[in-house]
Amino acid sequence: MATVNNKTVKRASKPAPKSKKRAQPKTPVKNIAPYKLLLLITVVPRNKADFFLDLLQGFEVNMQLQLSAFGTATKIFGFFDSDREKQVLFSVIREDNVPAATALLEEKFNSLRGGKGIAFTVPFSSMSGVAAYQFLSNKR
Amino acid sequence: MDQYEVVFCIVNNGYSEAVMDSARAAGARGGTVLTATGTANPQAEKFFGITVVPNKEIVMILVDATIKEDVLHNLYRDVGLQTAGQGIAFTLPVNDVVGLTPVEQSEQNAPEQASAEAKPQSSDK
Repeated sequence: MATVNNKTVKRASKPAPKSKKRAQPKTPVKNIAPYKLLLLITVVPRNKADFFLDLLQGFEVNMQLQLSAFGTATKIFGFFDSDREKQVLFSVIREDNVPAATALLEEKFNSLRGGKGIAFTVPFSSMSGVAAYQFLSNKR
Repeated sequence: MDQYEVVFCIVNNGYSEAVMDSARAAGARGGTVLTATGTANPQAEKFFGITVVPNKEIVMILVDATIKEDVLHNLYRDVGLQTAGQGIAFTLPVNDVVGLTPVEQSEQNAPEQASAEAKPQSSDK
């Protein structure tokens, strides 16, 4: 308390020093990515690419990219140069759809005439944007 | 643990065969070549005294995890940054692999396929 012109003025208390630590949220951060995403990479003969793209679209895959490529296997596995022409498909797929997708791919690789290929998944470690995640995971 | 890893090797245009030769020497079987365009920081290029050729080839090789180190070592030695190929190689772990023929099976099939291919050639003559 201080006296100014015979009036008692309440002195403003000193502001508390700002803590350097960022305030922790009281509630834990909501898990906004409950389903893991994986990049499914599929290498198939070029003339069968559209078939496999359609096949994978049935597993809630909303985004796929395809690139032209060449296989490097030895002549034993292909006599003509056209046998080396490949298409690489990059598909973003939800984790729970992977077992069914890979099982169907394996079946098609073994049964489809001239449809031999390989496929594997690489897990996403992070991504930015909730809308992008919802689009890629096909979950709203 | 993961049985397979995928090796990505980014090299200058025309060096994909060198990459495959180097990888095969370490036990790799086949790969896939993608064409790409590289970009680099011009200031870094000047500072390090290197020129980045924009046309690139990306070689993607699925290998057994046990030979990953050997493949990477060979690639570093034969097509690494200090060579004309100016290659950068790295690996990623992969989870679910389908369509890869086991080594034993492919070795058994190889002579059969080779002889099957030889037959039409002989009949043509």
